[in-house]
Amino acid sequence: MADPLVIETSDLRKRYGAAEALRGLALAVPKGSIFGFLGRNGAGKTTTIKILLGMAHASGGDARVFGLPAGSPAAGVEIRRRTGFAGEEKDLYDYMTVAEIVRFTAAFYPRWRRDLEQRYRRAFDLPADRKVKALSRGMRTKLALLLALSRGAELLVLDEPTSGLDPAASEEVLQALVSHVGSEEMTVFFSSHQIADVEQIADRIAIVDRGRTVVAGSLDDMRASYRRIQFVFAGDAPEMTFRAPGVVRTHRQGRVWSVLASGGADAIVEEARALHPVSVDVMPVALKDIFLETVAAED
Amino acid sequence: MLWYKSWLETRWRFLIGLALLLCSAGAMVLTYPRLQALLSHIPEPQLGGALGERVREAIELSREYRGFVWAQGFSQNLAQLGTLFAVLLGTGGLLSGGAALFTLSLPATRRDLLRVRAAAGLAEWLLLALVPSLLISLMSPVIGESYGVVTALAHGLCLFVAGAVFFSLAMLLSTLFTDVWRPLLTAIAIAAFLALLEQLAPRDGGWGIYRVMSGESYFRSGAMPWAGLAASAAASVALLYAAAVNLERRDF
Repeated sequence: MADPLVIETSDLRKRYGAAEALRGLALAVPKGSIFGFLGRNGAGKTTTIKILLGMAHASGGDARVFGLPAGSPAAGVEIRRRTGFAGEEKDLYDYMTVAEIVRFTAAFYPRWRRDLEQRYRRAFDLPADRKVKALSRGMRTKLALLLALSRGAELLVLDEPTSGLDPAASEEVLQALVSHVGSEEMTVFFSSHQIADVEQIADRIAIVDRGRTVVAGSLDDMRASYRRIQFVFAGDAPEMTFRAPGVVRTHRQGRVWSVLASGGADAIVEEARALHPVSVDVMPVALKDIFLETVAAED
Repeated sequence: MLWYKSWLETRWRFLIGLALLLCSAGAMVLTYPRLQALLSHIPEPQLGGALGERVREAIELSREYRGFVWAQGFSQNLAQLGTLFAVLLGTGGLLSGGAALFTLSLPATRRDLLRVRAAAGLAEWLLLALVPSLLISLMSPVIGESYGVVTALAHGLCLFVAGAVFFSLAMLLSTLFTDVWRPLLTAIAIAAFLALLEQLAPRDGGWGIYRVMSGESYFRSGAMPWAGLAASAAASVALLYAAAVNLERRDF
């Protein structure tokens, strides 16, 4: 039996005046997964997170977290009680000290994990008596993460968790996340445009572009099924339209036809052989290429 | 803990307001003997018209301590400073704090957030209205005068209830604009406009928020301005309700 879904959206729409931020977004985040939500800047990632946590109202469609409607104020309280969140800007209360904001946040969560709070305070070297406004960007991110991880949450929602961090701080944050998820039973939903981050920790991904999901699934399945197929012809590559399913994007230049396939590479190769290419290469594809090609295919 | 957050966000505005209002009330009491001495040397002003009438009335009121406290304190200094600090306490909040998403990620409804902020702000405003009023009663014996605690409380209550309208207006405006300055300046502009309207209105008739705030009817006839207080309270409730509705429909 499939894992129950922690987050589920269907035909989710959001309009800001004349601009459409979400255009029928569909998501299914199974329980226990580490779900990377990839997209370019402005693709709709933050808007989706805001709708899921009741910070913005959907213009249409459905969004559910733990099976509860995200748009309902009462359900929203329950969703947020079971969810840890760290936003992209890591905006916290500048006028509080580290100890004050930890105490303040802990008061809202009956399942607050004092042990994790202590552990991350030590691991992140966060000075208890320092004002939040005096923290560096990296320290602020770590504090935001501490506040999210210690909530005893079943779901962790992180919006660009490593945004603005140097590589060392970014690695430290990712390692903390991986180690946390390894020891706690929880679902992680994080947005990013850092493909390396997603590859490092996610087991499932969705690529969103212009408010729509363009690719979604298990990262391992994607790695296994996505292929780049290159046909080289003796002369100029002939014009052709592939009928085989799974063709994401094709590109013809001179003697070379390049095809990105989401599956069914054998059928595509078979179809192209009728045109007698002089060579055929079928290669695995990195997530970065899948991302770039699927997003480019939408342009 | 939302109470604690509200306190941290507004404590300096509150403490500065309290200090200024206390200084204003204390200084007013202490200057009365010198004013009395001065008044005995001032000839009757020969000004005509409405202005002359007002100047004569102010001088007449100041000849008696109770009149002086009302004219100088409850209808001027405390009312003006009080309005400013009521507006200041009402501004800020979710939109201008810079950490709106963190606050909204907590398991509390937007209505809860607004309710606590309004309650904390009104509690501070109540202290700003009552404590300086009571200081007048406490300090009056120092200059050999007396000012009843009940009278001080009655005027403090009028100041609080009418001033709460400006507090609520500032809260509503703070749910419309994402910075601190526009709600603050708009509320002050509205308060100044209403004050001007009341100055231009006939003195012996009509209702005005500053007349309620100063407790004019209580001073002149001993009757609390219940209708004005009820209307002010209703206006505050309506403004706070509009703020809650606006906050709930907003996207962050």
